[in-house]
Amino acid sequence: MTKWMNKPISALHDLLVKGKVTPLDLVEDCIRGIEKDRCNSFEATCFDKARAEAKRITQVKEEEYLKGIPFLAKDNFSTKGVETTASSRILEGYVPLYDATAVSRLRRAGMILVAKTTMDELAMGGTGTTGHKGVTTNPYDATRIVGGSSCGSAAAVSQGIAPLALGSDTGDSVRKPASYSQTVGFKATWGRISRFGLFPFATSMDAVGFFTRNVKDASYVLTALSGRDKMDMSSSSRKRERYQNYVLEHRTLKRVGYFRHVLDSIQDETIRKSYLDLLHALSEKGYEVLAYDYPEALLDALYPTYMILSCAESTSNNANLDGIRFGPRPDGTPQTYAQYMTMARTSGFSDMIKRRFVIGGFSLLSANQEEMFNRAQKARRMIVDEMNRFFDSIDYLVLPASYSKPPHLDELTTAWSTKPDFLDNILTIGNFGGYPSLTLPLGVEDGLPFGINVTGRNFEDGYVLSLGGEIESIVQRCDIIAQEVK
Amino acid sequence: MEFEPVIGVEIHVELKTKSKIFSGAPCTFGEEPNSQTVLFDWAFPGTLPILNKEAVSYAIKICTALRMKVDHTLYFDRKNYFYPDLPKGYQITQQFRPIGTDGEVVLQVGGKERRIGVEQAHLEEDTAKQVHLNDISLVNFNRCGTPLLEIVSRPDMRSGEEAMKYVEAIREIVTYLGVSDGKMENGSMRCDINISLRPKGTEKFGTKCECKNLNTIQNIRAAVDYEIQRQGRILSEGGAVEQETRRYDEAQKKTVLMRKKTDAVDYKYFREPNIVPIDLDDDFVYDAVHSMNKLPDAYRRELRQRGLDEYQIEELLKDRDFVLFYEGCLNLSVQSPTNLWNLLMVEILGYLNKAEKKLSDLPFTKEQLVELSDLLSQGKINSRQGKEVLQAMMEEGRDPLQVVKERGMEQISDDGEVEKVVAEVLAANAQSVADWKRGKDRALGYLVGQAMKLSKGKVNPSLAKEKILEKIGPCGSER
Repeated sequence: MTKWMNKPISALHDLLVKGKVTPLDLVEDCIRGIEKDRCNSFEATCFDKARAEAKRITQVKEEEYLKGIPFLAKDNFSTKGVETTASSRILEGYVPLYDATAVSRLRRAGMILVAKTTMDELAMGGTGTTGHKGVTTNPYDATRIVGGSSCGSAAAVSQGIAPLALGSDTGDSVRKPASYSQTVGFKATWGRISRFGLFPFATSMDAVGFFTRNVKDASYVLTALSGRDKMDMSSSSRKRERYQNYVLEHRTLKRVGYFRHVLDSIQDETIRKSYLDLLHALSEKGYEVLAYDYPEALLDALYPTYMILSCAESTSNNANLDGIRFGPRPDGTPQTYAQYMTMARTSGFSDMIKRRFVIGGFSLLSANQEEMFNRAQKARRMIVDEMNRFFDSIDYLVLPASYSKPPHLDELTTAWSTKPDFLDNILTIGNFGGYPSLTLPLGVEDGLPFGINVTGRNFEDGYVLSLGGEIESIVQRCDIIAQEVK
Repeated sequence: MEFEPVIGVEIHVELKTKSKIFSGAPCTFGEEPNSQTVLFDWAFPGTLPILNKEAVSYAIKICTALRMKVDHTLYFDRKNYFYPDLPKGYQITQQFRPIGTDGEVVLQVGGKERRIGVEQAHLEEDTAKQVHLNDISLVNFNRCGTPLLEIVSRPDMRSGEEAMKYVEAIREIVTYLGVSDGKMENGSMRCDINISLRPKGTEKFGTKCECKNLNTIQNIRAAVDYEIQRQGRILSEGGAVEQETRRYDEAQKKTVLMRKKTDAVDYKYFREPNIVPIDLDDDFVYDAVHSMNKLPDAYRRELRQRGLDEYQIEELLKDRDFVLFYEGCLNLSVQSPTNLWNLLMVEILGYLNKAEKKLSDLPFTKEQLVELSDLLSQGKINSRQGKEVLQAMMEEGRDPLQVVKERGMEQISDDGEVEKVVAEVLAANAQSVADWKRGKDRALGYLVGQAMKLSKGKVNPSLAKEKILEKIGPCGSER
């Protein structure tokens, strides 16, 4: 489908340095890919701007790893002059006046933004089916989901349309779709990458993430994105590191842990076997592989804790969307400000979003706060405390990133389960604790991919990526472009 | 039944920092609408709050002045509600951990000391301003994000006078600290007052009413006194006070109902996740505390020691510029603080008011004013001449010593000189001397007057009087 964009950043960088392609060639190739997208991956595009930027780049030096290479951004990153809707009707027509820090840092590194990608509305959802432009499908099978909320970014990188797409991860919104699309999806430590310009979903768990097709590319991108930003008080002032050095020098820690209860609960035999094979291979390579008994009660608490906290924060974070300063004005003739806001929000948000706001608002009411919101905060504390105990003696948590094939679109239901499977929500641990967490390809079953996830201690992003590199060399699955199985 | 009023006051103090509390936009007053804003003030998606250190420093100064405990870790919370003047849909405030707790203000009421507890002080952001026209409402975001410190008293006040004095004391402190304009009339200081009555001698609080729209210090007393009467009447007639928000209507001189507090808004408070708790550096707190301006009560103590009376002190304290000016003069070791006070607070203040000028417009130095004051204290010129010299100083920027010299005003205080004049006067007025000796005490004044006349007003009158008495002996000695 594409001539160049199906290659990873490392390969494109070599071609640019040698002068075998120009940034404009790459941008045109990316545009071709976008036009042939088969998954409904795109929101607004900025082709002319991208072409103009590409033309300005006349030379790429060896040390300018990212320069001249096109990238995509999830539609919840503020992009100056390019419509940004977070795939919600309430922001249709909103053209931001500024670039998110993540976007401006990639631009500063010489990368070229070509388009925005679809997402679950306002990043709330894990299916990639709730955006205002409809369903974003899995590149391997159009009858299945690619997962969300960063659905468009996953689908685009997987299809070979661009070697990098920004995403955001509040529960598993980068790492789950990476698993379903056979890409590398990374979420950095909370505070490592500035959130300035990322439309907030649940601030205390929101993290900038991204999709690439191999771990080395991811490490270079993290180096460019990380570091203190005076526009985000929660961004860490820890020194920036050259994360690629961890990967290139195979600088890893040695103790790899897994949750016994998770292993026992895996139903899918292929995934289970691949997982065990990997743990075995790591052990063969000299890693100490350790079982950990993470309490089942805390695993069962993941989903309700996540729902309450994320919904509570989201109802507040999205209270600025009232139709007054941006987004479409309400139809009809409101008589009061309250009517105006109610009409704008009623027509602007889908029912799923309203449901989350109601849950969030309900849990924060003074009558319910102790029983719901405060209890969820305490549960979060316990989940994280237990995880920190894990990290006292173990360096990495390695878990399957998904536990089944990507679900069929017609299997989806809007009814919410009363007894959800904790395996579907296990990656939220990374958001509760703010840990760096990486998903990369592990295997395929009937042509459909599943991934493996590595989570490490806060600010050990480099070690997490380097173990990813080790796994990549064991599994031998990288730089893969999706082949449609049907 | 006799009732006891219970009064608590909430004051919002606008801090006059250079920029807003959570954004880099300037804090200004009266600029073109919506010109003093950055993206955050409009709550554009993805923008984040950045705490302004200056606002924290100002809050620490106020808390310290109010003898509060200052929390060295800052926490912020969200207060969630929808309103057109609240672009984010929530206000960032300090609901659960205010920066200051447990302070007090000491008042003088009816000659007695009253200690009013201050429960807490918390930092928060101001809202935008709405303008309602006939068929349209407009929003001005210039004010949006101006730092506020909300100071909440304990329900320790018992009268309109106490409430008024409490607010006045806080206003004085924040203006002396230089952290706020403290102007109630333009909203840089805003008060809400809670008033309830309870049977005297009981503990349980009665139902309270909140009173708003008190835009002068005097209105506070008037509103509280009115409300005490109103509630007292209801209770005496066996009725029940309803929980209400009322406003003071200046024209009617009474409080009127704004809304009943039946269904209060649930603000769904929770911790602001964009601002992780901030540990204040010890140096930062130290610097804030040690760069505080001198407080009014410190001036009161010092001025009392310098011999000013309460009236003089309070008049001087009304304007910090005058206190600073006065203090500057005192530091030049003026001989009579009272003479200095008279010059500054009667003559100079009168002149400035009339000429619509400021203290800083005066064309002379503190040294020159002290010279003038000392000339008066030493009796080298009389008070009429003093006024004349001051006039020349204020209007023409003249040096007092030069004016005195030029106009030949210097008084004769040399013993020999005075004695010479006195001898001449006594010789020429034998009749008056005789009258004096026979008991006519008016004669002394006449003789002093003659000495003044003879010397063209230059002889020091008290010295002349002394010398005359030496010569003529006590009154009525030959009766």
